[in-house]
Amino acid sequence: MSKESVKKFLRSQKRVLAVIVLIVVLSLFGEIFVGNFISVKQAFLTVKFATFVALFGLCQMVVVSSGRNAIDLSVGYVATFSAILGCHFMQGSNRGLLFSILLAVLAGAGLGLVNGLLISYVNLSPLVVTMSVSTIIQGIINVYASGMSLDGSPAPVLTTLVTGTIKGTFPNIIFLLLFVMVIVHFLTKRVKFGQLVCGIGENSEAAYLSGVNVKLTRCITFVISGIIAGLIGLILAGNMGMAYKDMGSTYVMPSYAAIVVGGISLGGGEMDYVRVVLGAIFLQVLTNLFILFGGGDAVKWFGYGAVLYVLLLFYANERKRN
Amino acid sequence: MKMENLKKVTSMQNFSSFVILLIMLVITTVLQDNFFTLGSFISNVNAFAPLILLSIGQSIVMISGAIDLSNGAMLSLMTCILASTMQADNPLSGVKALLIALAAALVCGLLNGFAVGFMKEPPVIVTFATSYMFLGAGLFILPRPGGNCANWVLGFYNMSLVENAPGWLIGLTRYVPPVFLVILLVVGVAMVMRRTRFMRYLYATGSNEASAYATGINTAKIRIIAYLINAVCVFLTAVYLVAQNRSGDYQLGDAYTLRTIAAAVIGGVSMSGGRGDVFSAIIGALISSLVNKIIFFANLPTAYQTLISGLIVIAALGVSFLYSYLDERKKIKELRGKAEVQNE
Repeated sequence: MSKESVKKFLRSQKRVLAVIVLIVVLSLFGEIFVGNFISVKQAFLTVKFATFVALFGLCQMVVVSSGRNAIDLSVGYVATFSAILGCHFMQGSNRGLLFSILLAVLAGAGLGLVNGLLISYVNLSPLVVTMSVSTIIQGIINVYASGMSLDGSPAPVLTTLVTGTIKGTFPNIIFLLLFVMVIVHFLTKRVKFGQLVCGIGENSEAAYLSGVNVKLTRCITFVISGIIAGLIGLILAGNMGMAYKDMGSTYVMPSYAAIVVGGISLGGGEMDYVRVVLGAIFLQVLTNLFILFGGGDAVKWFGYGAVLYVLLLFYANERKRN
Repeated sequence: MKMENLKKVTSMQNFSSFVILLIMLVITTVLQDNFFTLGSFISNVNAFAPLILLSIGQSIVMISGAIDLSNGAMLSLMTCILASTMQADNPLSGVKALLIALAAALVCGLLNGFAVGFMKEPPVIVTFATSYMFLGAGLFILPRPGGNCANWVLGFYNMSLVENAPGWLIGLTRYVPPVFLVILLVVGVAMVMRRTRFMRYLYATGSNEASAYATGINTAKIRIIAYLINAVCVFLTAVYLVAQNRSGDYQLGDAYTLRTIAAAVIGGVSMSGGRGDVFSAIIGALISSLVNKIIFFANLPTAYQTLISGLIVIAALGVSFLYSYLDERKKIKELRGKAEVQNE
C-alpha cells in the first residue's frame, strides 16, 4: 500500500470523507458544549435511530438517481399503510409474518406503480404526484380507521429485530442496516439494473439512444421505492409495537435531507448508499445535539433548520467552484 | 365568426379550471340552499380567504420554477410576532407589530430567495430547512397560543369591532368583508403587474432558467423577488388570521402548506414553472375549498376529505395534462397544414 495508492483512494472517497468529517465536527461540538456526547453507547443509539431515516433514504436514493429531479413523498404513508395491514394480519404472532411481508411488498409495489405510471408515462411532476398519492393513502387510512380502531401488533421476530439488543448494548437493527448496505452495494455496482438507472439519471437521451427503455426504468424505480417503503412499514410496526396513523410521515423529509447531506446529486446519476446512511447519521447527531442542548423544542427546530440551511449553502458553494 | 370566438374562449389559459369551478359552484348550490345569500357569501369569503391569499403567493413562486414548503411555518411565525407585539388597547402597538412582522416576512422571503435564487439550491430542501427555522422562531416568540390584537387591526376581519370606525366603512363592510377588499387589492396589483417586464422575466425564468439567463435576465433577482412577493402574501394572511382569532399560534400554518400547493396545481399552475397565473391560484383555492364544503354538506364523513382532495389534485393534473397534450397536437397539425401549403 504505497502512499500514492492511499492518496488516490482517499481522493476518490472525498465525498464520503466530507460527510464523516461533518459528523465528527458536530460530535466534537456536542462534547464541548454539552458534554457526555461521545460514547460508544450514544453512538449505537444514534445509529439505531438514524436507521429509519437511512432506510427511507434508500427509497429516495433509488428514485432520485433516475433523474429529472425526482422525489418520493409517498414513502411515509406507504409504510404506514403496510404497517397497519401487517399488524392486523400478524396479531402479535410469528405465523402471520410471511403473509404480512408479502402484503407489504404487494401494497408497496402497487402504490409505487401508481406513482411510476403517472410520473413516467403521463409525465406529471414527481413532487405533486407522490404528494397526492400520499394524501390519497392517508385518506384511505382515515376512512378505514374511522370505522374501526387500528388493531393488531407486530410479530415478536420483528420486535426483537428492531428493538432488541445483543448483551444489552449493540442494537440488532444495526445488523439489518449493514445487511441492507451490503445488498444495495451489490445491486448498484454488480447488477445491470443499478447501472442502468445511474445511466438514465446521468444522461437520459444517451441512454434512450442506446436502446434503454427510459420510461419503463423510471417507472420501476418508483415501484422499488414503494416495495422498500412497504417493508420499512413492518419494521416501524416492530419498533412501535402497534400501528397508528402518522407512523411514517415524520420520516419523509428527513429521508430526502439525508441524501442531500450525503451529497447525492439531486438531478440523478449517483447511487452511493454509504453516503446516504452517513447523511442520516449526521441528521440524527444534529437532532441529538439540540435535544441534549436543553433549549427546548424551539431551539431544537431552529437549530436543525439553521444548520441544514448553512450546510446547503456550503454544498452549493462547493458545486459552484467545481 | 362564432367558431373563432368560441375557440378563443376555450383556449384561454384558465378556461378548463374555471369550468370545473362552475361545476363545483353548481353542486354546492344544489346541496346548500342558502348559498347565494349575503350571510353565506360573507362567511364563505372569510373562510376561503387565507387559502386564496397564500395560494397567490405560492403560485408566483411556482411560476418562477420553484416551490415554497415553508409558507405554513412562515404564516405561524408571523401570527406569533403580531400577536405577541400587539396590545388590545394600544393602536401604536398595532403599527409597530405590522412593521416588525412585515420586516420579518421580508427576511424570511430573502432567506428562501437567496438560497434558491442566488445559491441555486433545490427549493424543496431549502424551504424544508427554513420551515424548521420559522417553526422554532415562532415557538420561541410565542410558546403558547395566545397574544393580543390591537383594536384597529381587528378591522381586517370585522370592521364593526373597531372603536371609532367611520359609519360608512362599517356599512360597506357589512356587504363586502374587509378581507375581500384585500384580495381585490392583491388581484389589482397582479393585473397591473401583468404587463411589466418583471412578469415576463418571471415566466421566462420558470420556463427555462438556462435560456432566460442566457438572454441576460438576472434569474437570481427574479427568484428572490418571487419569494419576497410570496412572503408579503403570507404576511397579509397572517394579519387577517390574527384579526380573526385575536391570537397567534406557532402551529397555525401547518395545515396550509400542502393545501396551497394543491390549490395552485388544481388551478393549473405548473410545477415546472412558466405556466399559470394568479387567477389560476384563486380558482384552484376556490375549487379546493368548495370540495371540502361539498363533502360537508353531502354528509360524507370528514375522513373522506383527505382522500377526495388527493384524488382531485390527480384529476386536475390529468385534466391540465390532457389539455396541453391536445393543444400540442393541434399546434402540430397546424404546422403540418402550413408546411403542406408551402410545399404545393
